[in-house]
Amino acid sequence: MVWAVIIGMGLLVFLNRYVFLEPRLPLRLSSNARQFLGFAVPGMLTAICGPIIFMPDKQLNLQLDNPYLLSGLVAVGLVLYTRSTLLSMLMSMAVFFFLRWWL
Amino acid sequence: MSSSLLPRTAFLRGAVAIIPLSLATAPWGLLAGSMAIEANLTPLQGQGLSAIVFAGAAQLVAIGMLKGGAGIFSILLTTLLLTSQHLLYGMSLRSVIAPLPGRWRLGLGFLLTDELFALTSQHDKQQFNRWYALGVGLTFYLAWNLFTLAGIVLGSSIPGLEHLGLDFSIAATFIALITPVVRNVPTVVCVAVSLFCSVLFSYWQWGSALVLAGLAGMAAGFVCNKFSLERN
Repeated sequence: MVWAVIIGMGLLVFLNRYVFLEPRLPLRLSSNARQFLGFAVPGMLTAICGPIIFMPDKQLNLQLDNPYLLSGLVAVGLVLYTRSTLLSMLMSMAVFFFLRWWL
Repeated sequence: MSSSLLPRTAFLRGAVAIIPLSLATAPWGLLAGSMAIEANLTPLQGQGLSAIVFAGAAQLVAIGMLKGGAGIFSILLTTLLLTSQHLLYGMSLRSVIAPLPGRWRLGLGFLLTDELFALTSQHDKQQFNRWYALGVGLTFYLAWNLFTLAGIVLGSSIPGLEHLGLDFSIAATFIALITPVVRNVPTVVCVAVSLFCSVLFSYWQWGSALVLAGLAGMAAGFVCNKFSLERN
């Protein structure tokens, strides 16, 4: 079962990556499909972040003593302020581990 | 980057260019490895995920779903949706990769990640160098698999690695990738709807909370975009 999932995932991801690199494929996405997929990165990545930030340990936690929420806000601020992806990631992770130890 | 460089020089330049992004995925690779062990996958299965699937977000979500007892169909559907941005990368790189021989297309296709796309997307036909792209892709593949291996080893020997909060590194990475993209109203709406729905659906403990929340956000952004286009 697990191997079937791994192989199946591998095939699907490869299909997503390769399909438009195949020269014999005349297939084209419609303009609407392209626009919809254009929201895939913010839409999907945000959906993955949501529960991590707001529901640590599977419990809804909107308090300011939630290190995930505080550090997430710090990360947004750092990206806006520094414009550096790597620096923001590293600094917000440092803040996160400090808050976990502090709170 | 020029296509006239010696293959070895171009390959090495690519390998060096990807080093910072490779290092940034270290906590994430560690997490992918240790979470696989914690979800009762064998070490070989944990490594197999990184070696065969090679897509961090999809791997971590799939491990979580396997642990939660989700079915193969919903895991595969989530994978398809979570990695659908690669369709856009493929379309964008089609003009430079599609004319290459088959083994190059298959190889670079397999190695096509967010990171590879980020480093090659601005290259046109003159600038694109297949060896540079291969250097980027292979180095990133190697780094991802080594960090996964480290996670598997640490996850097996140090119980409770999953309680260290390494999952925040996913959130930190994604926040760093999303925030610069949020530049217009439709994307703000997309992110807001996706965020709200992901928390609400997870709170309700829906099996496919993340896919549905992501789709809701994408649909909201798409509709909002249509309206703003019509008004102009």
